Amino acid sequence: MSKRIVIDPITRIEGHLRIECEVENGKVSKAWTSGQMWRGIENIVKGRDAREVWLFTQRICGV
Amino acid sequence: MKIKDIASVSKQLGVSRREFLKYCSIVAAGMGLPLGAGEQIAEAVTSAARRPPVIWLSAQECTGCSESLLRATHPTFEHLILDLISLDYHETLSTPSGHQAEAARAASIKANKGEFILVVDGAIPVKDNGIYCMIAGKTALDILKETAKECKAIIAMGSCSSWGGVPSADPNPTGATGVQKILTDAGIKTPVVTIPGCPPNPYNFLSTVLYFVTFKKLPELDDLARPKFAYGRLIHENCERRPHFDAGRFATEFGDENHRKGYCLYKLGCKGPETHANCPSILFGDTGAGTWPVGTGHPCFGCTEKGIGFHKPLFSRASLHMVTPPDTYPHVVEHQGKSALAGIAVAAAAAGAAYVAVDKVAKKLGDDDGKGKK
Ligand code: SF4
Ligand code: SF4
Repeated sequence: MSKRIVIDPITRIEGHLRIECEVENGKVSKAWTSGQMWRGIENIVKGRDAREVWLFTQRICGV
Repeated sequence: MKIKDIASVSKQLGVSRREFLKYCSIVAAGMGLPLGAGEQIAEAVTSAARRPPVIWLSAQECTGCSESLLRATHPTFEHLILDLISLDYHETLSTPSGHQAEAARAASIKANKGEFILVVDGAIPVKDNGIYCMIAGKTALDILKETAKECKAIIAMGSCSSWGGVPSADPNPTGATGVQKILTDAGIKTPVVTIPGCPPNPYNFLSTVLYFVTFKKLPELDDLARPKFAYGRLIHENCERRPHFDAGRFATEFGDENHRKGYCLYKLGCKGPETHANCPSILFGDTGAGTWPVGTGHPCFGCTEKGIGFHKPLFSRASLHMVTPPDTYPHVVEHQGKSALAGIAVAAAAAGAAYVAVDKVAKKLGDDDGKGKK
C-alpha cells in the first residue's frame, strides 16, 4: 500500500513550493516538487530595451 | 508613563531606556508628529495588553519586501518589529511547513478576528482564476479575499501588492493586480494602506504599524493610499542633486565627467520629478550619507509611483511637474495695482528676466548633447 504525502507550503524558502511524495513500506518511492507561483518574467523581458532588463530579472529573487 | 514597562521592554530589546525612547521619538519625528508623540508611542507599544497580531501573506513576490524588513540593520528596529508585534504567520519565516503552517494561520485568524493586521507582499494574479499563485492548494486570490474580511486593516507592503509592481509589467502575463483593486472589485471595505517601494523602506512600514498601534487609526493617506508622512513629497524636492538640476548641470552618460562630478541625473532618465517618496531623506540600510539610488549615481526609476516604475521605460525622461519658478522668484505676470510708475517698470523688468530664465531652463532641458553643462 502506498501513501501520498503533500507538504504545501514549504516554508523558510523564497517563493511557493509544494512537495508531494509517495511512501511505500515506509520508504519514499516517488516524489514531485512544483513551484506554485509564476510571474512570467521571461515574457516580460522579451523585446525590451536590453539596458533595462536587469530591473526585472533582478527581482526574480530578493533573498 | 509606565516607566517600569518601558524598562522591561528596553531590557528585552537589549538597549537602554533612553535609547528606546530616542528611537520612538525618531519614528515620531519621521512621521511629522508633534513633540511628545515619541513618548506616546513608547507607552503604547509597552503597555499594550498583548502584542498586535500580524498575519503576513505572500503572493507573487521575490521576498525582497520581507528581506528589507529583516535586514533593517539597526537592532532596535528589527527587534521592535519582531518582538513587539506577534507575527503569527509568515511563509518564509514560519517554522512549521504544510498543514501545520496553515493551521497556525487559521487559528490566529479565528482568535484575533477583526483585530489583526494583514500584511501582503507580492501581487495577486487574477488571470485564469488566479492559478498562477497557489498556497496549500488555494489561490492567493481566494486567500486574500477570505482573510481581508476578517482583519482590521491591511498593509500592502511593496509595489507588487500596492498596484502590481514587477509582475504587472507589460504584457502582465498573469494579470498581476494590487490588493486594493482586488478588494474594491470584490466589494470588501477593509481599509488598505500602501507602502510602495521595491523594496519599500522598512521604516515607513514600521512607522505605519507604530502609528496604528499608538493612535488606533491609520495615518493620513494620499489618493494612492500611501501614508502622507512618507510619500507626501517628490523625490526631486529633497534630492541633494537638485541645485544641479536648477542650474542646468546634467550627467548625460554613465561615467562621463558630469556624472563623476555628481550632477543631476534627469537626462539619464531619473524619475525623481514625478515620484513621491522620502528616499532622499531617510535613505536605506542605515549606512550613512548617500545610500539611496540617486546618491550612488543611479537615476531613480520610480518604484513608489503607480504607472512609473516597471512601466515607464528606464531611460525615458520624467515629466516635470515643478518647472515653474517658486514664489520667491519675481512673478511672470505682475498684478498692476495703483503702484507708482517706477514700481511697474521694475515689475516689467523682473517679468522679462523671469521669462528669459524659464526659457533658458527649457533650452537646457532640451539639450541632449550635454552642451548645457557649465
Ligand atoms: S515590491 Fe519589489 S521587493 Fe517587494 S516583493 Fe515585489 S519585487 Fe520584491
Ligand atoms: S532629476 Fe533626479 S537627480 Fe536630478 S534633482 Fe531631480 S531627483 Fe535629483
